[in-house]
Amino acid sequence: MDSSYVASVVFLKIQEFASRAASEQARQRAQLEAVIAVTTADLAPASRVVLDASDGAAIVVLANPAGALRLAERALKASAAGLPLCAGINHGAVRVLGSGMGEAMVGDGIAVAASIAQFAPASEVRATRAFRDALADAAPGQEASLVPKGASSDASLRSHELFTRDRAELQRRARTYRALSTAAVVVLLASGIGWRVSQQGKDAFFDGLAAKYRATTAQGERYVRGLVDKAKFQ
Amino acid sequence: MSKQKKIGRYKILGELGRGAMGVVYRAEDPALDRVVALKTILLSDDVENRKDYEKRFALEARAAGKLNHPNIVTTFDFGEEGDLAFLAMELLEGTDLRTRLKEKGLATDDAVEIAVQVADGLGFAHERGVVHRDIKPGNIMLLERGGAKIMDFGIARMRSDDFKTSTGMVLGTPRFMSPEQIAGVAVDQRSDVFSLGVVLYEMLTGQMLFAGADSAQIAHNVTNIEHEPPSRRNKEVSSLLDFVVARALKKDPAVRYQDAYEFAADLRTCLAELRGQPATETKRDTTKTVKLARKIDSKQPAPVAGAIAASTRLSLSRQFDSRAALKRLAAPGMLDRASLVRPPRHVGLLRRICRDAGPRLLFISSLLAAAAGSWIAFG
Repeated sequence: MDSSYVASVVFLKIQEFASRAASEQARQRAQLEAVIAVTTADLAPASRVVLDASDGAAIVVLANPAGALRLAERALKASAAGLPLCAGINHGAVRVLGSGMGEAMVGDGIAVAASIAQFAPASEVRATRAFRDALADAAPGQEASLVPKGASSDASLRSHELFTRDRAELQRRARTYRALSTAAVVVLLASGIGWRVSQQGKDAFFDGLAAKYRATTAQGERYVRGLVDKAKFQ
Repeated sequence: MSKQKKIGRYKILGELGRGAMGVVYRAEDPALDRVVALKTILLSDDVENRKDYEKRFALEARAAGKLNHPNIVTTFDFGEEGDLAFLAMELLEGTDLRTRLKEKGLATDDAVEIAVQVADGLGFAHERGVVHRDIKPGNIMLLERGGAKIMDFGIARMRSDDFKTSTGMVLGTPRFMSPEQIAGVAVDQRSDVFSLGVVLYEMLTGQMLFAGADSAQIAHNVTNIEHEPPSRRNKEVSSLLDFVVARALKKDPAVRYQDAYEFAADLRTCLAELRGQPATETKRDTTKTVKLARKIDSKQPAPVAGAIAASTRLSLSRQFDSRAALKRLAAPGMLDRASLVRPPRHVGLLRRICRDAGPRLLFISSLLAAAAGSWIAFG
């Protein structure tokens, strides 16, 4: 239990929590607990630890960065019902403190997630470069949905490169790859044709191509006729 | 001292106690025929700092003399005689909170009731520009007839210009000091709110919040350690009261209760909840805040606040069962352990082609087109 582990940490922060009246804080805390209950339902109990924070909660997700990102997004959606929530996600070291089943967790993974959550506007998520790399490792391609959103320094003067979620970026990327694939096909086929033309000359190539086409068509016709005859005899 | 029968015009009747600064006597004021508590400072004990002591004592007396409130010990008079400076105060019949906590614990609602009264007294003092700076159980008197009074504005100072960190003088009791007080920066009424938060925590749980082997360790704990919610130690503490305590104990004064009345208002709501009564309307406008001293920027976090964010230690939530994950961390399998300790790897081309749809499409279509192109060229 004394070892350090690397995990994704989703820090859900209730904005301006400290400045609210205690009764309002209690109400928002209850709302947050309901949101966490709903959003952690997708994760196996063995892959998440929920921690209390003074102005929100942190969920440590083990070996599942994609699940952590999904959880953050679902939490932010669920909070549309009036809970001013934002999220910070980091992937870093965490450690369990305390005996038995543990009482608390510490680690840079948690500290940085808490720190970058401060930079997130309401209903938005901010992720670190470390989390983006972890997401790329676990689900290559998904990291493209995390687009740069500047850099910020926390209270300890550590600079964090921040990323935010942009689902449209995944679609743009898919379109780009489709266009590149089409272009590659066109270029490679055209190269083959160009090479042949340069070797045989234009007329010989097209005559040869036409001959091949006629031969292939004739062969196809014979084959189809054979099938039709077979069907008639049966 | 035992030979001295009078200090100023006061006849000494007996000794009530001794503090770090001096002796407190039971004395009689013959002019008004009343018994008072006479707090003295033996100035000759510290010749080098005598002038400073005298000045402090006079400041204390003037500050305390402004305060006439049911939850603050009334100061009648002050003066000097020979090597003694003295302060005549209301004599209280009762026991101080420290003694009470040692003898037996307090019921949760009693603890909150006491905190409400102390917060009211502090609010009154803060409005008059007086910060106590040493709120602790020893300075809270529980009266026999009921009620609590704040005693010993002995280190209370006018808030504006007289904080002397350059002399290395740090005033207060480390265990109940606020982080900004420990840091040695100028403090305002929010420091008293923090100290009252610590007192309330100890009343609710019966345990010291910031313990330590020495002052340095206690100071470290005050500035760095986040408290465990009191409800974990006392099941009677409601979640609302947890929040109120948490807000009073914020390390950063900018996010703490900004004045004691605000704190008292929330405590009254908790008290009503504990006693199963509807919350009574507070007499004061609870949104009112006391104007801060000009030198203090409420938006500016205390110097220690930065360090707190970097050493985040979060408790496991009681609302969610995390035992399965903790068990997994305690005894991970070989493969699982590798995935739990390994930092992210760079995604190579082969893995990218195998697992990323975009590059896979590009690779396969390029491969097929290359084969077709080759056939056209050479076939």
